[in-house]
Amino acid sequence: MIRTHIYAACLALAPLSLSAGSLTLFASGEDLATEGFNAPKLTKDGWALEFTRILASFDQITAWQTDPPFMADSADIAGRALPVTGPFMVDLVKADDDDRVALVTLDAAPGHYNALSWALVPGDDGFSLVPGDDGFSLVLDGIARKDGQEVAFTLRSADIVMHACGEYLGDMRKGFVTEGGEADLEITLHLDHLFGRADKPEDDEMNLDARGFAPFATGGVHDFFLGGLHLGHVGEGHCHVSAP
Amino acid sequence: MFPRPRLAGITFAIAGLLAPSAAFSHAALIEAETAQAIRLHAYYDTGTPMADAQVIIYAPDRPAVPWGQGNTDSEGRFTFIPDTVEGRWSVQVRQAGHGAMAHIELHGETATVLAPTVAAGSWVQRAVMVALVAWGALGTALFVLRRKGRPDASA
Repeated sequence: MIRTHIYAACLALAPLSLSAGSLTLFASGEDLATEGFNAPKLTKDGWALEFTRILASFDQITAWQTDPPFMADSADIAGRALPVTGPFMVDLVKADDDDRVALVTLDAAPGHYNALSWALVPGDDGFSLVPGDDGFSLVLDGIARKDGQEVAFTLRSADIVMHACGEYLGDMRKGFVTEGGEADLEITLHLDHLFGRADKPEDDEMNLDARGFAPFATGGVHDFFLGGLHLGHVGEGHCHVSAP
Repeated sequence: MFPRPRLAGITFAIAGLLAPSAAFSHAALIEAETAQAIRLHAYYDTGTPMADAQVIIYAPDRPAVPWGQGNTDSEGRFTFIPDTVEGRWSVQVRQAGHGAMAHIELHGETATVLAPTVAAGSWVQRAVMVALVAWGALGTALFVLRRKGRPDASA
């Protein structure tokens, strides 16, 4: 069990003042989840992907106020914690106009929530494609197309991946809860770290590590490992990744 | 977009130092001055500079609102002149879908940068490093472009 959650149990639960604001947590697979991989953003091996569903299971989520700021350089986060009761199982294809799916809105003490820990964990009901199995942490269903071929696929992983992330990075700085105000944070899965991108150089380090779609091009159900792919981010911000 | 766009490009600073202080024939007035400036170097832990990366700066008193923005040069360097001194300045550097936030504590003549330690592992775990290269008095210049009616220059 990641040590961040020990901190969560010990340091959190500070009483909220009556003037607490709210913090909404979102999950996103970005436009690659909602719109798929389309030219020029094909997979690194030239496949177009259309997803019918991307089921992700998140748990052990804690938002943190850290000072000095946590820099995503270890599994340990120290600070004021706001633990979130999970798990959450969401379809990242069924997202809003900003490609996000709301997980939960919490009362939160004012301050800057500049770190976020969370885990991809196997889900339970609704995630077991085969009755009686243990479920999956990530399932991607869809259709792949290339050169007249059309392949239906289901890719699934039962891996547990712990994430200790720093501050959300994106077009706007996030996580500032003010008295009576609203703020949000986002768990972001970068799907191009799994499939690569044809619009980036072949020797781009992301493409060197990404699997592409070729290993799954026979279609049907494929299991894959999340280890080494590093899908999890907070916007464009990095996370320290570890196994339990 | 930015309420206090007081970024002064180092290009102007150099020009200001080299050019004569007398007005040009096109009625442009240059006044040289010195200012305390922060110079950063953004790079990956592989040593590769973050060339032409987007930089967004947040001031201590309004940490949720961009104070200014720009781009690193080909060596990953970026210079800005804070308009207040005390407190934590935050600098976000982004490139190709990845980025990092660095924090610079300014207290009087002392400046320290909070940077991530380098995490071993695959490339995606490599840190974006932002190093404080300089905090000190640099020359700068205030341009008064009378013909365009602008009170000052922007970088």
